[in-house]
Amino acid sequence: MALPLSYSWRSLLARGARTAFTVAVIALVVIATTLFWSLIGSLKRTLVSSGSPHNLIVMRKGATNDGSSQLSLDAYQTIRFFEGIAKDPAGNPLVSPEIVVQPFFHTTSGARENVLVRGVEGPALLVHDEVTISEGRMIHPSSGEAVVGRIVTKRYQGAALGSELHFGNANWKVVGILDSGGSSFESEVWVDARELANNAKRPFPYSGFRIRVADDADMDALARRIGDDPRWALEATREIDYYKQLSSTANTLYIIVAGLAVLAGIGAMFGATNNMYAAVQARTSEIGTLRALGFSRGSILGAFLAESVMTAAFAFVIGAAISWLLAIAISTAMGGIGFASQTFTTNVVVLRVAPQDLLMPLALSLLIGVFGGLAPAAAAARLRPVDALRKA
Amino acid sequence: MIDLVNVSRLYHRGTDEIHALERVSLHVDRQRFVALMGPSGSGKSTLLNVLAGLDRPNSGEVTVAGQRLNEMSEDQLAAFRAHTVGFVFQFFNLIPVLSALENVELPLLLTNLSKAERRQRAETALRVVGLSDRADHRPRELSGGEQQRVAIARSIVTDAELIVADEPTGDLDAKNAEEILSLLQTLRRDFGKTVVIVSHDPRAEKWVDEVIHLDKGVLLDKRPGGAARGAAGAPG
Amino acid sequence: MKYLPLVWRNLGRNPLRSLLTAAAIALAIALVCILRTMPAGLDAVLASAAANTRISTHNEAGIVYSMPYAYLAKVRAVPGVVSAISWNWFGGAIDVSKGVEFPNFAVDPDGFAEVYADWGLDPKAFEDFRKYRDAALVGHTTLEKHRWKVGDVITLQSTVFPVTLSFRIVGSVPTATPSFYFQREYLAQALAASGAQFDSTGMIWSRIDDPERVAPVMRQIDEMFHNSEAITSTETEKSFVGNFFSGLKQLVTIIQIVAAMVTLCIVFIAANTASMSIRERVGEIAILKAIGFRRQTIFSTLLAEAGLLALVAGIAGAATAGFLLKGLQLYASSAGPQLGPLTAFAISSAILVEAIFVSFFIGILSGWVPALGASRRSVAQTLREVF
Repeated sequence: MALPLSYSWRSLLARGARTAFTVAVIALVVIATTLFWSLIGSLKRTLVSSGSPHNLIVMRKGATNDGSSQLSLDAYQTIRFFEGIAKDPAGNPLVSPEIVVQPFFHTTSGARENVLVRGVEGPALLVHDEVTISEGRMIHPSSGEAVVGRIVTKRYQGAALGSELHFGNANWKVVGILDSGGSSFESEVWVDARELANNAKRPFPYSGFRIRVADDADMDALARRIGDDPRWALEATREIDYYKQLSSTANTLYIIVAGLAVLAGIGAMFGATNNMYAAVQARTSEIGTLRALGFSRGSILGAFLAESVMTAAFAFVIGAAISWLLAIAISTAMGGIGFASQTFTTNVVVLRVAPQDLLMPLALSLLIGVFGGLAPAAAAARLRPVDALRKA
Repeated sequence: MIDLVNVSRLYHRGTDEIHALERVSLHVDRQRFVALMGPSGSGKSTLLNVLAGLDRPNSGEVTVAGQRLNEMSEDQLAAFRAHTVGFVFQFFNLIPVLSALENVELPLLLTNLSKAERRQRAETALRVVGLSDRADHRPRELSGGEQQRVAIARSIVTDAELIVADEPTGDLDAKNAEEILSLLQTLRRDFGKTVVIVSHDPRAEKWVDEVIHLDKGVLLDKRPGGAARGAAGAPG
Repeated sequence: MKYLPLVWRNLGRNPLRSLLTAAAIALAIALVCILRTMPAGLDAVLASAAANTRISTHNEAGIVYSMPYAYLAKVRAVPGVVSAISWNWFGGAIDVSKGVEFPNFAVDPDGFAEVYADWGLDPKAFEDFRKYRDAALVGHTTLEKHRWKVGDVITLQSTVFPVTLSFRIVGSVPTATPSFYFQREYLAQALAASGAQFDSTGMIWSRIDDPERVAPVMRQIDEMFHNSEAITSTETEKSFVGNFFSGLKQLVTIIQIVAAMVTLCIVFIAANTASMSIRERVGEIAILKAIGFRRQTIFSTLLAEAGLLALVAGIAGAATAGFLLKGLQLYASSAGPQLGPLTAFAISSAILVEAIFVSFFIGILSGWVPALGASRRSVAQTLREVF
């Protein structure tokens, strides 16, 4: 016969203060892990969600990002007529030649950050189809205009729609706001490619090309054809793989944080074990009575385990709620978190607790509950009824 | 030795007032073995606590060994207990993590004696109660009677003038109870202690000099015990 | 200290509980140490950049915007400038697929020894650096990470220029950040061979003769180039380094919040144990008081008990942190430079010692309330209730 869950539940309430301590310890571990985990999650969501599965990025061989790549006009003119590239309704190939420069911007709080400025030409919005102009309009060529990412407009001086933005020793008129559904393009500024190349005094006009392929099945074949062309030492990569590679910073952080979370979890497990042992000791005679009444060892074990898991689950709910509020408070107070990416430009990540960020803290707290309760519950089940009653 | 004048002690349990002692006056001479007897709730334990400096009366005068307890601060009372009173309890109340010898030595930590002196005195006290060979045992390795003898050794180790014992035989079988009572009588006879016990064990009567009966917080009567009448042991 | 054995024995009363508590606190302390090491790495880098007579000149538009190499000669001619050198980002990688693992720069060997006089480097290393065309001075952290030593020859492929160069390491540089310097002329010759021109620079670093003159000299340099093709911005080394890592500050805030949460955890774990072990001993404490122990003695032995447990746990935690940090250093060294000094995980004895003190302090604090309660409890009442 199993003991009803209400037995475990009422036992918890009866030891209010001690239960509250355990809940606090586990909840704090949940908060700490959730904050770190959602930081990594937010970083990954921002970086990995960048790029389209239909696009290739072409750079000079050996360049690890488009900031360190330089390509000739000649290469652009030839490659855009390769077969397998998608075309716009007018029949122009969907190839976006781009130049990337990282000038200084000043945040509204006065800090200096490197921001990725992308020089683009006509097909940019057609190739990057996840990017839309949510306010204002796209730039006109050679007009000293700029469109800025949704995050840029809030974070930096002079980046509001309609104002003059100063960077690269020049002033640029902000005519539109970029929206890309949370990906890293929202941390960028887009201007005319030739204007930017002139401004930065780059000998080559382009850093790289983005190519929309006509048929996803031909993607690798097209990439090989570009890479094998003996005229230029080029390399074509899937755009999504490129951004995944850029987010490898997060992978390191991932493993470090996972290690720290496990450490904290083990600590909290010891704390929970301690409390459950105390609960068993305090209830020795009660357990004796239950055993004398005919409850089996299994049901005693189950009841104490249930008590421990209930505590942990409750602590998880509290911890998750507090983390969620904390993330909002941090984002509101500090804006986004500036991450220097491999290009040393600032990727702004807005901290948010997504449901999947809670999976690992949930698993952690349930493990704390199960393993923290296991040994004491087993000790309780081992008590012989006569001994337990005599001790009373 | 002990002088109580019109001592009253009142407790609050919830909204009820409980008169544990009502205007009790009592005089006990030096080197007497006295038993406080009465039914449960008669106030005998409260009376013992008051005269040992553990509890304070709501009114009335308490003078023990020439010291007025009424005006003492908590720390002064603690010092009074440390120097003047030795305690023995029903459940022995030894510290489980300390050995028999260390338990006996415990009250000496409160004195300025050196470590060697403390050790020597504790060994002497253990010898008095006949437990020298059990010095290194932990309390749970000792029988009930042995534990109570260790507790008695602890009560005499500071050379306190007054030994108080609350139901010292309450948790013991007949044979051990007789031994403990005999030991307490020895303390009064051979070491000149004043011994006050609380008991409802009728066996205690024949060992003591005087029996004081209480009921409902009031002192009923005082009459000589067995020792005074020469019923058991040597005459007082 | 005659009560110490009593305190010690009481900790052994429930060995399992003491062990679990100590282990929980130790792990939390280890975690706090590791977390605090991260921002401390950043602080160490900022502090080491304190040379107040070294200034940086770069294009006002950003580090990636270049300046004509001719600017170097003009800066050297400014009165008050003891010597100046140029830096060019080489972006060299050991293995291109792994990316740039440490920053590496082409610099001018002439004047290098004067600009970095504060490194206290062996004059022979500077001499070799000037003498050999393929010489490289390498940061000691970079040397250790890759298990290189002076005399080794290594090859880097540039991710910026279409060249691959081999270098001979001639000296170890004592800076906190990873670094790698080689002769500008070596790169220029390689580029000339492939027909490319090389006449720009990214940064100019100068040593000023007098701290008092730093501000006017910085102003003078920027005014000199005000109407030129590249407008410059000159700042002190400290300001430059601070700006470079400004993006990491918010990450540091989050790390600090998490560290605070973990510290709070310790408070709860310690307080819980203190209150449990004191509560189940009220009877015994009453006996101690009955036989004459004063409140204060009872209070301080109980506090000592909580403090001692936390102290032992703190020491174990700090030791664990030291051990784990060694592993983290090895792991994080393969991670690349994006998190900068945050993942240096340098063991700082100040942090470890501080953590031990914090642990002890928390132990004392957590024992305070239950110990005070126990020492104040009336003996007579306890005896009535417990026995």
